[in-house]
Amino acid sequence: MNDAEARAILSVYRPGESGIEDPRFEQAKCYAKSHPEVAQWWAEQQELDDLIALKLVSTPVPSDLKMRLTAWEQRSLRRTTWSRAALLLAASIVAAAVMFSSWRGPFQPAVSLADYRDEMVSFVKVTPKLELESSDLSRLQEFLAKANAPAHFNIPEKLKDLGPLGCRVLRFHGHDVSLICFERAEGKLVHLLVIEAAAVAKADGATNPQYAAEGEWTTATWTEGGHTYLVTTKGDRTLLEKYVGSS
Amino acid sequence: MPLYRFGLSLSRKESDAFDLTQHTFLTWATKGHQLRDRTKVKTWLFTTLYRQFLSDKRRAEHFAEAHEDAQFVEPPHVSPSVVNAIDAGIVQQALHDLEDRYRAPVTLFYMQQHSYREIAEILEIPIGTVMSRISRGKAEMRAKLTDLAATDARKVISMPKEQRQ
Repeated sequence: MNDAEARAILSVYRPGESGIEDPRFEQAKCYAKSHPEVAQWWAEQQELDDLIALKLVSTPVPSDLKMRLTAWEQRSLRRTTWSRAALLLAASIVAAAVMFSSWRGPFQPAVSLADYRDEMVSFVKVTPKLELESSDLSRLQEFLAKANAPAHFNIPEKLKDLGPLGCRVLRFHGHDVSLICFERAEGKLVHLLVIEAAAVAKADGATNPQYAAEGEWTTATWTEGGHTYLVTTKGDRTLLEKYVGSS
Repeated sequence: MPLYRFGLSLSRKESDAFDLTQHTFLTWATKGHQLRDRTKVKTWLFTTLYRQFLSDKRRAEHFAEAHEDAQFVEPPHVSPSVVNAIDAGIVQQALHDLEDRYRAPVTLFYMQQHSYREIAEILEIPIGTVMSRISRGKAEMRAKLTDLAATDARKVISMPKEQRQ
């Protein structure tokens, strides 16, 4: 096996995928372990795949899609008998749950705080494009409010002391997430992401920052005033505590 | 929404995507009770939408291809500037530009809701063919992302910092 063959195989391999018995995957993974440049390439590919997946999920859908589909559902119900109506209603509830909520059936977990944390960190690892660049926090929050994204939230004082660079809105499982980027003294970024608390299932509801490591990145999450806050930067907990405070 | 996004990726048109989603919804409402394994609801919905897409486009024969060996290709390099430029519009356009045979498996791959085995069930093709098409489709998509990002960059008009929206 050479570098090109290993890369070709690894580009298809998905960590966690079960039921695939292809010995080439194991061979390619072993090859990557002994060839750091291939391992580095693979890590970058996975980050790119995650980024593309996130962008695909954020593809906008028509705002009236749900209304148009449920309008059809109501018309169908009026035309049918009661027993058929009950059947249609039950079927529609499941279909609607699949389409419009985070319900993914018994074979997929609900969207948890860990899922949210993973997805947001994978998003900001590649410096995100900002929709508004400004060092004026009130102007950024005004922009977020106009975009109907979370805007009226408290920003930790130590974070405010950093210079904000700009903001943007992204989507997470149908919910708007407000992102404000701040610049650390050494030119690195600290990202604040705010989503409505109800959007994240199993959120622990902690009002003090809860820290977690995500590879070279550290996150702090807490819930306050109906919002779930996530602050992350590349660095360790001690560094992040300087901007968020200790739990 | 995942169903609609899959429909949009296949059909490339919002109106067709809505029709496909609505048809799937209707089929589920009328025939869903026949599905005994409730853990297969999601796969069933995606399969139904895909079949309707094939039927609408009269492409069934075109897609009913023989088994392809699971040959993988190395994806081309994507520069950091391209990575930074990627947004939802560019991703959607790159998917739209893919060959039909690659578009469905690559879309399902990036939706991250289905295993390879489930993708094979939805598209009704062997799992080796799924992986082969994902490999080639991802390679093709990376090349298109680079082209699209370059085109997009040429469209950007510099604005004073405070005026960017």
